[in-house]
Amino acid sequence: MTQDDLTIADPKMKAEGVDVFYGDKQAIKDVSIDVGTDLVTAFIGPSGCGKSTFLRSLNRMNDTVASARVTGRITLDGEDIYAPSMDVVQLRARVGMVFQKPNPFPKSIYDNVAYGPRIHGLAAAKADLDSIVERALVRAGLWDEVKDRLGESGTALSGGQQQRLCIARAIAVDPEVILMDEPCSALDPIATAKIEELIHELRGKYAIVIVTHNMQQAARVSQRTAFFHLGTLVEYGKTTDIFTNPKQDRTKDYITGRYG
Amino acid sequence: MNRDTAPTDWNAPAMQSRIARRYAAERRFKALGLGAVLLSGLFLAFLLFVMVGNGARGFTYTHVAVPIDFKATPLTVDASRLDDPDADQVIANAGLSDIVAFAAGEALGEGGSDVISENAWKEVRTAIKADPDLLTGKTVFELPASSRIDIAAKEGAKGELGARVAALKANGRLSTGIHWPFFRNADATDPAVAGIWGALKGSVLTIVIAFLIAFPTGVLAALYLEEYAPKNRWTDLIEVSINNLAAVPSIIFGLLALAVFINWFGLCQASALVGGLTLALMTMPVIVIAARNAIKAVPPSIRDAALGVGASPVQVVFHHVLPLALPGILTGTIIGMARALGETAPLLLIGMRAFIGDVPNGICSPSTVLPMQIFLWSDEVDRGFVEKTSAAIIVLLILLLSMNALAIYLRNKFEKRW
Amino acid sequence: MTFNAAALLLLILGLALIGWLAGRARSAMLAGRAGRKLHSRPQYHGWYVALWLFAPAAIFLAVWTSASPALITNQVLTTPAAESLPAFGFERGAILSDARSVAQGQQAAVRLPAAAPLVKPYAEATAHYAWIGIAAMLALALAGGAYAFTRIRPEFRARTRVERIVMLLLLLASLVAILTTFGIVLSLLFESLRFFSLVPVSELLFGTYWNPQSGAPVADTFGGIPLFWGTVLIGAIIAMLVAIPIGMMSAVYLTQYAAPRVRRWVKPCLEILAGVPTVVYGYFAALTVAPALRNFAVMLGVPNASTESALAAGIVMGVMIIPFVSSMADDSINAVPQAMRDGSLALGATPNETIRQVLIPAALPGVMGGILLAVSRAIGETMIVVMAAGLSANLTANPFASVTTVTAQIVKLLTGDQEFDSAKTLAAFALGLVLFLVTLLLNIVALRIVKKYREAYE
Ligand SMILES: Nc1ncnc2c1ncn2[C@@H]1O[C@H](COP(=O)(O)OP(=O)(O)OP(=O)(O)O)[C@@H](O)[C@H]1O
Ligand SMILES: [Mg+2]
Repeated sequence: MTQDDLTIADPKMKAEGVDVFYGDKQAIKDVSIDVGTDLVTAFIGPSGCGKSTFLRSLNRMNDTVASARVTGRITLDGEDIYAPSMDVVQLRARVGMVFQKPNPFPKSIYDNVAYGPRIHGLAAAKADLDSIVERALVRAGLWDEVKDRLGESGTALSGGQQQRLCIARAIAVDPEVILMDEPCSALDPIATAKIEELIHELRGKYAIVIVTHNMQQAARVSQRTAFFHLGTLVEYGKTTDIFTNPKQDRTKDYITGRYG
Repeated sequence: MNRDTAPTDWNAPAMQSRIARRYAAERRFKALGLGAVLLSGLFLAFLLFVMVGNGARGFTYTHVAVPIDFKATPLTVDASRLDDPDADQVIANAGLSDIVAFAAGEALGEGGSDVISENAWKEVRTAIKADPDLLTGKTVFELPASSRIDIAAKEGAKGELGARVAALKANGRLSTGIHWPFFRNADATDPAVAGIWGALKGSVLTIVIAFLIAFPTGVLAALYLEEYAPKNRWTDLIEVSINNLAAVPSIIFGLLALAVFINWFGLCQASALVGGLTLALMTMPVIVIAARNAIKAVPPSIRDAALGVGASPVQVVFHHVLPLALPGILTGTIIGMARALGETAPLLLIGMRAFIGDVPNGICSPSTVLPMQIFLWSDEVDRGFVEKTSAAIIVLLILLLSMNALAIYLRNKFEKRW
Repeated sequence: MTFNAAALLLLILGLALIGWLAGRARSAMLAGRAGRKLHSRPQYHGWYVALWLFAPAAIFLAVWTSASPALITNQVLTTPAAESLPAFGFERGAILSDARSVAQGQQAAVRLPAAAPLVKPYAEATAHYAWIGIAAMLALALAGGAYAFTRIRPEFRARTRVERIVMLLLLLASLVAILTTFGIVLSLLFESLRFFSLVPVSELLFGTYWNPQSGAPVADTFGGIPLFWGTVLIGAIIAMLVAIPIGMMSAVYLTQYAAPRVRRWVKPCLEILAGVPTVVYGYFAALTVAPALRNFAVMLGVPNASTESALAAGIVMGVMIIPFVSSMADDSINAVPQAMRDGSLALGATPNETIRQVLIPAALPGVMGGILLAVSRAIGETMIVVMAAGLSANLTANPFASVTTVTAQIVKLLTGDQEFDSAKTLAAFALGLVLFLVTLLLNIVALRIVKKYREAYE
């Protein structure tokens, strides 16, 4: 699939021939894709085509589904993440995830962000933790809005704020990759714009993969786009190419809204 | 990469050992969870083991073979009176107990009448009533041993008693068999003739009464609350009452029954009627709650469809909603009834603690129930009652388990997802 | 001639069936003759007649069945033969019931000689009232049926009437719950007030010495503190120390770790544990657990170790409550959205960190509500404490010593052989009132919390 001009020399994550099954049902068929270090990669495709499934196999969240089974090879910095020697806890700390619906814990804003660093022991002292929390909130663009009420419950924030809190929570453990599964689908246009702005800011600091149903959004935030259909990866390329000059008919039909 | 901090070094020894510690904590936690489950299971197994271990012997009894020759020691009764309702009295007055004691002394040597139960003659009486021809000849009766001998034969004994039992065994006089009086009789002070039939019948009467009252009332109340009740303060009050009644300690219902049914209405004390009424009040809230959940699960589309073809609200409920909700209601009812069947505390207060030596013959006659019989026997000093208590527990548990199994079966069979 | 309620019920059911058929037939006939369409289908006319026939007679039957034994006994007591009866007590009751059994044919002959002269008056009184009852009942049934029958017309709205009656029935059924609650409150309150006129409220609530003498309201012997303490020690402390950790951990294991197959097998086992009757637990506590604990305590050299120990009752009660706590915790943990769990796991938390730091705090209100309900159940539990905890009212924190509880004392006070009006009997109702109020409070608070919690995650 990879073409010369978009071969990534040193991909952060690399998937080769990945199949995912739920019981007997195959949800992902032979997908190979590279995730570049400094790039935002967008996954698009009609509902049910397996975007979330594939995304979740990148940080082994599929392990939590009893019937799910992943075959093929996925590597992070060249290490097979499904190898027995790979530690899931560590993997998930390095590959963070933001979900479709904001899911702050029913704890204070501060504790939400501090949760990850605490469990991983990233801060030696309270002051370190404070600065990690502050930096994560600043990066997530939420600091100014919440700096005076860090003790309030995270669930008391607005939807958009909650989603940014979840992003801050993911950033706080200092991951290398951030996976976002339709992070804006529950938000209004203003909140969406804020998140998109945030993705721009974060680009270059983390490898970002974002699933979206919104073509404009994919075009706006990503440099690479992958189009999934019925569990297969139909086309992968530079975002500008995919949107202006798709090679496959199925891609073109989808982008121009003929089905989906 | 223009990070402003150094990336976390996951391979640093400190981090690695931290992760190892976290995994160890994880394993410990999981083991703790498994331990908790196993502990509950173990407790259940231990309880069943103790009860079955003690109780299995309660179903059997040691019998002594005693020949009685009615030609040598005639029992002078008028054969025509053996069918009378007071035949028991007639035979007793004719001195059967002395004849049996004498025969035991003859057959077993000195103190022979202590080897058999002092109520053994009642078994002979039952046999005679069934077959009056026994009175004309010599028959070997398998008579229940006295409680002391029974325990010694089952558990072994030392000293004089042990020697005695060993001698009897050597003579082939002792045998162990199913103890029919246990299933046939009511309570008695002698474990040789004490049985659970009286309590079992009392339990059945009580539960039937409770069911006949609680089931219709509970279902109708649930229908009203779910289908017709307007949302107002009264309905709220009913709701709160029901939810709270379901959690009120059962003994409070006993106090209510004592004050209202017995002292105020003057209903028959210690009877299945009052017991049933009490348990009905206690189970009704449980049935209402179960029935409401079952009714709630019937989708509104079915009601709309029926209303749409012109059925009246009452017809909708009785023709469509109720039949669909019935399996759920039944499941809840059976579970509630099983709970009532095992209940003791409220019945203690309405006088069912008294010793009842007769099988109840009506809903107003004094009766006891199975759990109460267990409670009463557990207090007996005679050691022979220990195994009787456990045997009664086994009977009760079998009843309850089969009711619960029926409920689970119904639940699984009719579990519907609309 | 006796008054056999079951047979009479069958009789009026039969009459109602006849009424149903007659009503249906008549409405159809009238409609045919008038050549008009019926407002309601014939069977509703049938139901209308049947209900009018059945309901008044059945209500009368219920009232009469419960009232007539007292009436009969009263009549017997007015006869000269009753003069030789003992004034009161167990013997009097036994003689009366013996005579009644013979008179009503349940027993062939009297067992107590004193009952013999009463048999004839009993038989006469029984027959007397039976005739009155049967006649009145039949008259009511026929009058009701006739009234309904004459009202049948083609345009008569029988269905509406029947449905109105059905609605009334439904409403009445749901009022039973309120009636029961009122019955409990009033009967407890009424008897308690009589008790408090003998013994001040403050003594029951704050007195520290409990030793009710036979019937007499001796001052300073009705102090409830030792009972309240015993109840708290057994039900709220020891039982909860057993039930909460084991119940919670079982729930956590079953919801988070166990394979579905294990779960399918273990849950019914827990349900069995919940279905074992309390008298069995009590027997088990008294027979097995208590002696073992006593030996253990003696080995440790604990003073006052008793075979009736708070610990034995508390531990067994805790085991009894485990399934309850576990299923409440199970429900609460399951109500926490999956997204919460995923969010934590995606940050690299281990399942145990997720459970302890996210799931349980999120489920806490629900769990707390469940625990309050469990406490309310434990302090109201009777049989285990009656059989295993003993009856001596000690104010001690030694779990190996014998303590007593409110429920155990209620049973003790009411199962002796004394006058209903004595201070002892009334004290049981006062204790019942305290118990009722405390559990009521716990239940209401707990149900509130649980409901709020459920709504939070709708
Ligand atoms: N837990 C599961 N068990 C079984 N099948 C699943 C499970 N989760 C997803 N699937 C199936 O896998 C396929 C892919 O689902 P997935 O959620 O990955 O789609 P998606 O592309 O993310 O869709 P959407 O855009 O609607 O989020 C679907 O057919 C879905 O039904
Ligand atoms: Mg998806």
